[in-house]
Amino acid sequence: MRRTLALVVVVVMVPSATALGTDLDELLDESREASYTAEQVISCSTPEGVRDAVVELTQSGGELHVAAPADPDVEIASGFGGWSLVREGSVVSSTNVQGTDETPEPRYTVDDGAETEYLGRPATSYRMTGEGVVRAELVVDAEIGALLKVVTFVENGDLYCERRFIAFDPEPPTFSQSSTGSDVEFSVSVVDSDLPASLAGFERLDVYEDDEGFVFAYYSDGFFSFAVFETPAVVVLGEGSVATFAGRPYARSFSPGQVTLVWETLEGGMALVGDLPPDMHQEVLEGLPPPQDPGLFRRLWRNLFG
Amino acid sequence: MNHAGELISAYLDGELSRSEVEGLFGHLGSCGKCSAEMEALQSVRSAVRSLPQLDLPPGLIPEADAEVIPLHRNRGFLVGAAAAVVALVIAVAAIFTPSAATISVEELNSRYGARASLDPAFGPAKVVVPYVVNLPE
Repeated sequence: MRRTLALVVVVVMVPSATALGTDLDELLDESREASYTAEQVISCSTPEGVRDAVVELTQSGGELHVAAPADPDVEIASGFGGWSLVREGSVVSSTNVQGTDETPEPRYTVDDGAETEYLGRPATSYRMTGEGVVRAELVVDAEIGALLKVVTFVENGDLYCERRFIAFDPEPPTFSQSSTGSDVEFSVSVVDSDLPASLAGFERLDVYEDDEGFVFAYYSDGFFSFAVFETPAVVVLGEGSVATFAGRPYARSFSPGQVTLVWETLEGGMALVGDLPPDMHQEVLEGLPPPQDPGLFRRLWRNLFG
Repeated sequence: MNHAGELISAYLDGELSRSEVEGLFGHLGSCGKCSAEMEALQSVRSAVRSLPQLDLPPGLIPEADAEVIPLHRNRGFLVGAAAAVVALVIAVAAIFTPSAATISVEELNSRYGARASLDPAFGPAKVVVPYVVNLPE
């Protein structure tokens, strides 16, 4: 009897240990530290249709530069809390933030991975799972740890976004000068806020308020992330459609790998920007102030006196 | 035409037709008496019209007091209408004048992108595309 029990215990414990798999944070950290030049294709299936883009990536020392081959004069440089839009070598828009050291509780687990080959290089393919749902497939370069391919899924298993390298050079690039953190237009700092501490499994990591007087909070579940903005005025969304959640209308626009939701409340405007899959939108939005028509006189007062 | 006294009064009251006016002026050219009467009547009317208008003491003529009330009503209506027009102009201007505190999506992307660069998943999995480049079919 004792031998049978011991066998049962062993049989039960072995899969549990295996299920711990690879640490997601370690994979992501290794990818952040990798240095390379690559060309990436982004293709997302959204409720508004397919959103595609081809970009050139240059990553080194935790700094990432993104450019589109169609317009080499425009580049986005980001890293260490800085984000800059550079046009013809000049910074035209930039933001710097100081994040907290808080990290979200692990929501996803990664399996042990399977050896594979990608772009002629040895790699490992991992499946990232949360609450029994496969949310992403990660293909990591075996030599330098760069994320060569990232595929994310919605809850029913349909593909949401695929980001894959179509060209890859693992030689460390050299940046002429650091483009992040220079010519700062907005400097934001950490403040308290009434925005929820957690939203549908996402944790609020920090909150900022800038000189213009509007607030934004950053939420993450360890992989996907979004920012919620509270602004004194309504955000103007150039393109997009109207999406209805819980019977309330939101203006929504998808770009390759990113969604923007905009709505109006009694106090002003709100917006959400992030990379979370569409099936997560409703639950997140239900935790935030809903769209409300402020009416003529409140809008009038806001426009006149801010 | 012997004497045109009634026609002169009618003319000054604007009650004559064009042919009657032509007939009257033809007579005035040949009749000094009527011409002098015409001038005298015109002078009297001008003098009366140039007199200052005075308000009657209240209660002196009840019918006159009764006439004053509608005048006040008209003035109130005009003042109200003017105020409504001014308010409407301000409202329309406020609604259609862009607020100074507007924010663009690009600015939101900038802030999100800056904070996302501190995210553990920062890198190829969180690339923010500067603009859309459609792939060929």
